[in-house]
Amino acid sequence: MTAWATAQKSPDSIEGLWRARELPRRRAADDGIETGFPVLDDVLADGGWPTAGLVELLLEGCGIGELRLLSPALAALSRTGKRCIAWVNPPYLPYAPALQAAGIDPARVLLVRPKSHEEALWALEQACKSGGCSAVLGWLAEPARLRFTEIRRLQFAAKQGRAWTNLFRPADAVREASAAELRLHLRPRSDDGLQVDIVKRRSGWPLSGIELTLGTGLTGQRERLYEQLERWRNRMLAASRPALMR
Amino acid sequence: MLWLAAHFPRLGFEVQRDDDSANRPAVLVQDNRVLQADDAALEAGIAIGSTLATAHSIAPGLVHFQREAELETKRLEVLSQASYRFSSQVSLAPPDALLIEGSGSLRLFRGGEAFRSMVSQLYDRLGHAHRLATAPTPMAALILARAGLGQRPGEAMATVHEAPLDAMDLPDAETERLANMGITRIGQLLALPTAELGKRFSDALVNDLDRLTGRRADPRESIAPVERFHSRLHLLEPIRGRGALLFPMRRLADELEHWLNARCLGAGKLVWFFAPFAAAAQKLEVRFASPRTDAKSFLALTGLQLDRAQLPEEVMTVSLQADELTPLPLASADLLALADDHSGTSRTELVDRLAAKLGTEAVAGLSPADDHRPELAWRWQAPVARRAKTAPAPTAQAVRPLWLLDPPHPVDARRFKLLNGPERIDVGWWEDDARALERDYFVAAARSGAHCWLYRDREQCWYLHGYFS
Repeated sequence: MTAWATAQKSPDSIEGLWRARELPRRRAADDGIETGFPVLDDVLADGGWPTAGLVELLLEGCGIGELRLLSPALAALSRTGKRCIAWVNPPYLPYAPALQAAGIDPARVLLVRPKSHEEALWALEQACKSGGCSAVLGWLAEPARLRFTEIRRLQFAAKQGRAWTNLFRPADAVREASAAELRLHLRPRSDDGLQVDIVKRRSGWPLSGIELTLGTGLTGQRERLYEQLERWRNRMLAASRPALMR
Repeated sequence: MLWLAAHFPRLGFEVQRDDDSANRPAVLVQDNRVLQADDAALEAGIAIGSTLATAHSIAPGLVHFQREAELETKRLEVLSQASYRFSSQVSLAPPDALLIEGSGSLRLFRGGEAFRSMVSQLYDRLGHAHRLATAPTPMAALILARAGLGQRPGEAMATVHEAPLDAMDLPDAETERLANMGITRIGQLLALPTAELGKRFSDALVNDLDRLTGRRADPRESIAPVERFHSRLHLLEPIRGRGALLFPMRRLADELEHWLNARCLGAGKLVWFFAPFAAAAQKLEVRFASPRTDAKSFLALTGLQLDRAQLPEEVMTVSLQADELTPLPLASADLLALADDHSGTSRTELVDRLAAKLGTEAVAGLSPADDHRPELAWRWQAPVARRAKTAPAPTAQAVRPLWLLDPPHPVDARRFKLLNGPERIDVGWWEDDARALERDYFVAAARSGAHCWLYRDREQCWYLHGYFS
């Protein structure tokens, strides 16, 4: 009788029934680094970036907003603990004033500039497994030469050294298999946002079409400028008033 | 007590003089006055104290050097370290003399004369003109050496009486007062009753006289010898191949580890020498981000560099020298490398490994700098900061890109859509032209969707300077 009554109920109304779609939201071992984007936190296995593991960021070109995607988490890491953030073979120079403005302490940044693909790969692995880095950002000079076993080595090294490791690869690597525990495909949006497709994640299936808005800090710049001008004007007036009275 | 004073009358020259000017008359100049002159210059008739212009007009081929007191002090320290072989009590008598206490060493060197000639030989070899004098008190020895009256070692105190007052290093005013009283020699001064001198002159003069005659103690601060490690291993058979080299290297590294541990020091730099049978040794330098003490890391980091190094085919001698020795704070070893407190050590570990393999220039840190010019608003920094500096609060109100192109890349502005700007940066006009900027910065969107930082310079040329990313 009771069994029958239960069966007649809609599955949604049953208390305590576990649903597969809740899986990523469960934050039992909630030890991820918050991404700063709640939409993304909700769909990632640890409720954020993995504290130890390899993340592949697949994108075409460079400068579409990939650093702004990572910067809230990097800023959080640079505030806590003493470990450094290694940048291995970055395509351009990380600009210290901008890092500071984003909340990332430039003193924590360790810049490694290897001369070849092999050296970059070696440096990346060393940085991951040393235990001295809370986060590692890696670019490769010849990403096409990266082999599956090398990715697995990196993933293992990242686990060993408890480093959140980000490897930037070209978008056509989407089709290749990879041992990374999280793979994201990034595409720019016209309104200066990012479209993120999850190609692979732990305890979950691929997901596409996550839209993120990245703040540029552009909006409000003009307002700030006017404010500043106003302040100056007031100060000038205040300074010149006694002279006028005399 | 037997004090040997060594005075270097031309130290100022000798630290600066090079081979080019060796056969021309030379003078040392301070405040536009000749301070010291060599034999050729003195022969030409240049007087000490004359102006530089006069000196040049007397001897047209004259070379002059500005006095650099710092160089002299450094050289004097080097000389004192070299003199440590003669006695355990060596002290500096700046600006240009050393004092060596010799009574303990006389038996070793078989008598005073032999002792003097050994010291003299050393300074000759190091290329310094010198005058030596021995006396029972340090001050007497110094006066004799400075006055050049050290030729009769047996009768030092009698000779001091003949020395001029200038050699005593008194204040100029007092020397002049004494000269006005007709007192020009130390003997005349010593003949005067001390109590009367004390009334008319400063206590310092009386004290100096007491020290000179030995009535008052004159303790001198001895130098401490600089610790050095240099050990070499001669091999019975020549070694070919890098793998086999590790065995003698391990022995040397172990030796260094014991040496460092016994002294509680850390080495900041290792220099390995690999010498073939009959040729110059190959040098291999290994630098550490922070001082190290353990043989294991010495070998591991050297091993990384050994692959790239040029080594002789056959190695007969391996030697190891440790430099940049610094006292270590006592700390326990790192048991759990991942504990956050110890991440400092694993960071230096990483920096060392990376620098050993990729070269020191490949690893760097960043820091913001206080400048409006975008190129100068950051600078390189040592990868391991000696102490954590608190970064200055961000002052820039304007947006700055996370990626900077260095140098800026010329672009065609028509391929970008300008979104924001201009931000005029017009600074550095007070410096030379190369460092002055006059630019209008814009935020622009490229076709790819990337947000770029563009600028237009004075010549209306457009450059891409960064990505907002």
